[in-house]
Amino acid sequence: MECVVQGIIETQHVEALEILLQGLCGVNKERLRIHELCLKSSQNLGFVSSEVRLICDLEQTEPTWIVRHIGGAMRGAGADLISVLVRTMVESKASKNALRLFYALGYKLDHELLRVGFSFHFYRGAQITVTVSSVNKLPKLHAVDEAEPVTPGIQLVEVTAPATSDNYGEVVTAVSSFCEYLAPLLHLSKPGISTGVVPTAAAAAASLMSDGGGTTV
Amino acid sequence: MTVKWVLHWHPSAGHTVNTQIMNEISQCVESLNGVKDGRWKSVLTFYKPITRDQSMAAEYPRDFLGISIPEQPNKYYFIIRAHRIVLEADLSIQTIMDKLQSYKSRVSLNFEGIQYQLGDFQVRVGKVAPSTSETMRGIVMEVEYLPISSIDKSRQILEDFVDFWKDTLSKRSLPGHFLHNEPNFGEYGLGDQYSAEHTTVQYATVMAQLIATVQTTQVVRN
Repeated sequence: MECVVQGIIETQHVEALEILLQGLCGVNKERLRIHELCLKSSQNLGFVSSEVRLICDLEQTEPTWIVRHIGGAMRGAGADLISVLVRTMVESKASKNALRLFYALGYKLDHELLRVGFSFHFYRGAQITVTVSSVNKLPKLHAVDEAEPVTPGIQLVEVTAPATSDNYGEVVTAVSSFCEYLAPLLHLSKPGISTGVVPTAAAAAASLMSDGGGTTV
Repeated sequence: MTVKWVLHWHPSAGHTVNTQIMNEISQCVESLNGVKDGRWKSVLTFYKPITRDQSMAAEYPRDFLGISIPEQPNKYYFIIRAHRIVLEADLSIQTIMDKLQSYKSRVSLNFEGIQYQLGDFQVRVGKVAPSTSETMRGIVMEVEYLPISSIDKSRQILEDFVDFWKDTLSKRSLPGHFLHNEPNFGEYGLGDQYSAEHTTVQYATVMAQLIATVQTTQVVRN
């Protein structure tokens, strides 16, 4: 399981967000360059269609692969009341043949993306990962070097934390609390519920840039 | 990881495998001063596609296997021989396959037995049986030369060991013999440095040969 929220920020304010995150997390950022391939099952495979993502980390000297399955979101009155999406998510590291294997099994490429940006990994009530990235589409098959931004001038911010059925309540609280610190720059909500950029972003960014992120929270 | 050869028992025409043969083989290893070093178990699972229309099943691989091996307890291996693809993944890949609901386990076979140390060699003798029954379907033997990871460099010494082993075993006049067919690892993109993926390819090859042996035996009987 994982808890997740997303938001967007204008590229011009990303530097300020980075300064804020650096101050909050106390760890160094890691560069991010991820090739993500979304595969869907062929029409006749499985009683219902299925989807799997292959994540290739291009930042490593030798690219590494992860197979990721994102399941359904938690439902019900309790889930509606919380501002964080809780969903099943299973990952497995895989060797470089993952794409060939899934093609052979009858999966087809639905779409592929290149995410370029940075991430922070830290513990703050839960093991939280914040990624800030521009999402790029590929004009030609696997042409990561020719990637073009899907939304120029806008970057995606995602906050995730692993959880279990026993502790997701605490993880939701930890993620929600952390998101409040970012509120002046961006609003984070459940994926699929777009809230746009926040009007205070420019002022908050200017303030952060002027004091260099020295303010401790 | 050091180099291992996986051999399988090829029964003589009209014979099958049984516990007595297995016991004789184990005694033979012990007669060579093989020191018992615990038990071992690998599990091989055949997967079959789940299709809305049964006639479409032929479009998907029929030889899709998943393998867990004791040397890598946190890993799981997939292989499709027809496509020459072998994949190493975490154990959680099995959960992902369950969630995808596109393939399901058809049958699982346990390869299990006793492990021996003979100087620089590690020898495993084991029976092959479905996980749901004790019926023996085959006998396998793994011979690992512990000092070397290069397939080429260890080939001669492993050949010598296996020849010596076959000679020793032949004196017991058992109805069959061990076979070793080295797969073409290069076809799977694997190099000279031995890995668990090499073991996976060998297991899949042995499995195909065991199935062929069983089918031949059935034809002879019929």
